[in-house]
Amino acid sequence: MNAFVAKAPTGFSLALRFALRELRGGFKGFYIFIACIALGVAAIAGVTSISRGLTEGISAEGQSILGGDIAFSIVHREAGDSESAWLQTLGDVSSVATMRAMARRPETGDQALVEMKAVDGAYPLYGEMELEGGGTLADALSQKDGLWGAVADLSLLARLGLEPGDTLAIGRATVRISDVIASEPDKLAGGMELGPRLMISEEAIPETGLIQPGSLVRWRYRVKLPGTASEEAVKGVIAEAEETFPDAGWRVRSRANAAPGLQRNINRFAQFLTLVGLTALVVGGVGVANAIRAFLDTKQAVIASFKCLGATGGFAFQVYLIQMLCLAAIGIGIGLLVGAMLPFAAGAALSSVLPIDLAAAIYPQELGLGLLYGILTALAFALWPLGRAHDVPPTALFRDMVSGKARSLPRKRYLVSTAITVLALAGIAILLAYDKRIALIYIGASASAFVLLVLVARLIMAIAKRLPTVRSTELRLAIANIHRPGALTPSVVLSLGLGLSLLVALALIDGNLRRELTATVAQEAPSFFFVDIQSHERDAFETLLNTETDNANLRSVPMLRGRLTSLKGVPSSEIKAPPNVAWILRGDRGITYEAEQPENAELTSGNWWPADYAGKPLVSFEDEAARELGLTIGDEITVNVLGRDITAEIANTRKVEWRSLAINFVLVFSPNTFAGAPHAHLMTLGWDEDVSADQELDILRSVSSTFPTVTAVRVKDAIAQVNDLVAQLAWAIRGASSITLIASILVLAGALAAGNRSRIYDAVILKTLGATRGRLILAYALEYAILGIVTAVFALVAGGVAAWFVITQVMGGSFVMLPATAMTAALIALVLTVGFGLIGTWKVLGEKPAPVLRNL
Amino acid sequence: MTNGPAISLKDVHLSLGEGAGRVHILKGIDLTIEDGTAVGLVGPSGSGKSTLLMVMAGLERSDSGQVQVAGSELSPLSEDELARFRGQTVGIIFQSFHLVPNMTALENVAVPLELSGDAAAFDKARQELEAVGLGHRLHHYPAQMSGGEQQRVAVARALVVHPKILIADEPTGNLDDDTGAQIVELMFKAQRERQMTLVLVTHDPALAQRCDRMIRVRSGEIEEEDNAASLARETAGAPI
Repeated sequence: MNAFVAKAPTGFSLALRFALRELRGGFKGFYIFIACIALGVAAIAGVTSISRGLTEGISAEGQSILGGDIAFSIVHREAGDSESAWLQTLGDVSSVATMRAMARRPETGDQALVEMKAVDGAYPLYGEMELEGGGTLADALSQKDGLWGAVADLSLLARLGLEPGDTLAIGRATVRISDVIASEPDKLAGGMELGPRLMISEEAIPETGLIQPGSLVRWRYRVKLPGTASEEAVKGVIAEAEETFPDAGWRVRSRANAAPGLQRNINRFAQFLTLVGLTALVVGGVGVANAIRAFLDTKQAVIASFKCLGATGGFAFQVYLIQMLCLAAIGIGIGLLVGAMLPFAAGAALSSVLPIDLAAAIYPQELGLGLLYGILTALAFALWPLGRAHDVPPTALFRDMVSGKARSLPRKRYLVSTAITVLALAGIAILLAYDKRIALIYIGASASAFVLLVLVARLIMAIAKRLPTVRSTELRLAIANIHRPGALTPSVVLSLGLGLSLLVALALIDGNLRRELTATVAQEAPSFFFVDIQSHERDAFETLLNTETDNANLRSVPMLRGRLTSLKGVPSSEIKAPPNVAWILRGDRGITYEAEQPENAELTSGNWWPADYAGKPLVSFEDEAARELGLTIGDEITVNVLGRDITAEIANTRKVEWRSLAINFVLVFSPNTFAGAPHAHLMTLGWDEDVSADQELDILRSVSSTFPTVTAVRVKDAIAQVNDLVAQLAWAIRGASSITLIASILVLAGALAAGNRSRIYDAVILKTLGATRGRLILAYALEYAILGIVTAVFALVAGGVAAWFVITQVMGGSFVMLPATAMTAALIALVLTVGFGLIGTWKVLGEKPAPVLRNL
Repeated sequence: MTNGPAISLKDVHLSLGEGAGRVHILKGIDLTIEDGTAVGLVGPSGSGKSTLLMVMAGLERSDSGQVQVAGSELSPLSEDELARFRGQTVGIIFQSFHLVPNMTALENVAVPLELSGDAAAFDKARQELEAVGLGHRLHHYPAQMSGGEQQRVAVARALVVHPKILIADEPTGNLDDDTGAQIVELMFKAQRERQMTLVLVTHDPALAQRCDRMIRVRSGEIEEEDNAASLARETAGAPI
């Protein structure tokens, strides 16, 4: 006999109205919430906007960076007559030759490895070549008084103690340094640089004697198409080039893809920093959940009132969801504002460091991504605690008579919504990632760390609860504080644990990489690589080295450069290779041939060819690369060497220890493959024991003066250069990762502040019963120290496992735990928890008992 | 007015708490309250009178037995249906007022009407506040009002939907005598004029004296029923 219960329109607009009324109370208690969201959103929006700005910068300066609308690049040889003639029909053409060479100061014998660039009169087709002296390039490079002119980076002058006007030997020629390079428009097109730039005229090349058959020289032909050529016209020319000269073996790049290597690095770095930003957002999410929980605790009576007055549980949830979204919107708004300004700030601050101009602008798409991540994170962490608003019993209003039927978990619909939001967050992060595998691993690791931290927090509480009673009152209080309902344990362990684990992992990866570079590699690596040793001078060169050195290990191999153009008949351009081996198909690779199996080569399948083998060309492929590219014995691959396509059958696969820095090649061919092809030799020189720097430099001097066209790369110099790069990256990464730690600190501060209410109660009761401030401080310090130490131990284990995975499984290196890093992490955790904890508690200890007791 | 009793409880049992802490609070309550009467629930602390009030208001579900209020059988109603039922049929006045702190007096009173989708919510709320003498305090927040004013807002909020049942839990418990008397006057005047059923829990003999019926609850059972006159005799010396 139920009477009609009318269904009232308790929809969104009414919930919005109620929510806005409630928000009149201000944002007290929500500053941490807003700061957590703002920090993460700013990090993501800022990083993606800066990355986009760099990409736009490359794109805007594409012609200058490439040196033309289209660039054709060939190794070892100049363009043939028919190729040159065809290039001339396209528009203005400029040719540039680049190679590594030794520059020597005749008076002192000091030498330096330089990145040499020989340019023609048309250089540069786009952009401006600026010299410190203000003169023109043509004048600076011209021949005067029988000496060709040269311009160089300031660092070369500094290294060799040169001034403009001084002379410098390069190969067999002597040039006069006429000016210093202020700006080189196409500097980025060159790739990795091992030394400073030395630029001479193309006409001076023959005098240097550096370019011999097989020399490692790269010729680039840049074309400026007539008028303002469209992208279609550019693509048309590229297609015509492939069609007209299918065997040219040149690499063609357009202005739209001027610096693919740099672009890849920017994308990778941006992806990593976006994931770090996401971690900061997730750490901040813990703060969001804490703030919502604390907020709803204070709103129990209001929610119960609404329910008594006819509001449904769903309506109460809506009211607080809208409030949470409004607050999140403020955080997101601040984050987006900061994120939008970051490209402008970075562009101004880093203008002297960045190789290109950062196109600072407001990028709506990137800001949209920050907005999306911000909303999803806020929802992911708020839906669960907000779901509890649904089931606040209206009976809560009748004195303290809560029925005891409150649910321990929110309703299924809120759990499912939380799960969907978390999955959407992870899905979007993976979907938008440059390297989805790495993103998946990162997110999987973060999620595992998150779940483990929750479990660790519960374990600590369970252990604390079961500990036998200790005699010390302070320790007893500390242990009780760790496990009591509403304890800080989950918040502290979760927030600090995530941030610290990431820091430990990054510090260990950085430390291990440096150790690998400076210790392991340096011990095993040879001291020198000598490049471009001509066949006719090889014996004399070897004799010189044997005379000059005792007990040195010499190894010599023929060396050519070639491009892998197809695998199993499929063109390389159509193969989507896994990211870790994609470099093999990009550009040209060093290749060699060997009659007999090298001593350091360990075959993993197949057999080495007989020493006198004369049949179909055979090749030995590096084992891991072969596996990743899906190649097995019997498959055919084609390489283009010196403009000729050569197809060879894989005879065996072999394991390569890249870390040794010994002579290693992905591709080793049977000798008959390159019979008659002009090529140079590569030689390494090393010692079993340590050799002084002076000894190494003496050999370098002797070699450079006797064989001026041979290029010597001193491994220690190269390692130092790579080390510098790693150090710079490590600082950038550490800086970015500190955002996560800041988020951790924010959450920690919020959790401690939220816990203060119950601490004031405790402190007042204990003070009333005779506890001194000193005893209370000791009790709190013990509690924070226990939590800090447990968190640090977890961070060490989780960060250590993550670093071990990255070093051994992703980078293929060896891993050692670095105790200093471990101690630093523990110290940070302790300082943060005990420090912040006691700062917050100090106020608690100062509370006078009477006013608090009156309100209890 | 509806035909039949305003509230009818038959063999109502209710236990609260879990495991060893579970307490049997209502032990087979049989009670009928006629439409338009004023009933006072009295009894010592912990006797179950507030719980009985909550069962009548649809705030607490009984474990067994039949609860019928204003013609509606409450047991089969879902949580949300119960909420709507309360919003439209029951007005509740609390000892601690329970106004929403960030809403003005007018907004607080309009809440139940807004929840039931009444387009004239604010006009009706204004009239109700004027009726309790707070026409000049419409836009004040609870913190800007005295305890008596806050309780008058709470009374207006309870009355604004013209409920069939008005429930009050110690409505004067947090007020001084004079202010309490004004609130009592307001409640009984509204009950008379609107012919509502009023059920209140009180420890105040003077207040109980004004009810048509007094129901004594002890240890979860209705010990005896008495009329106001007998209550007055009984409580002449000391408060219950």
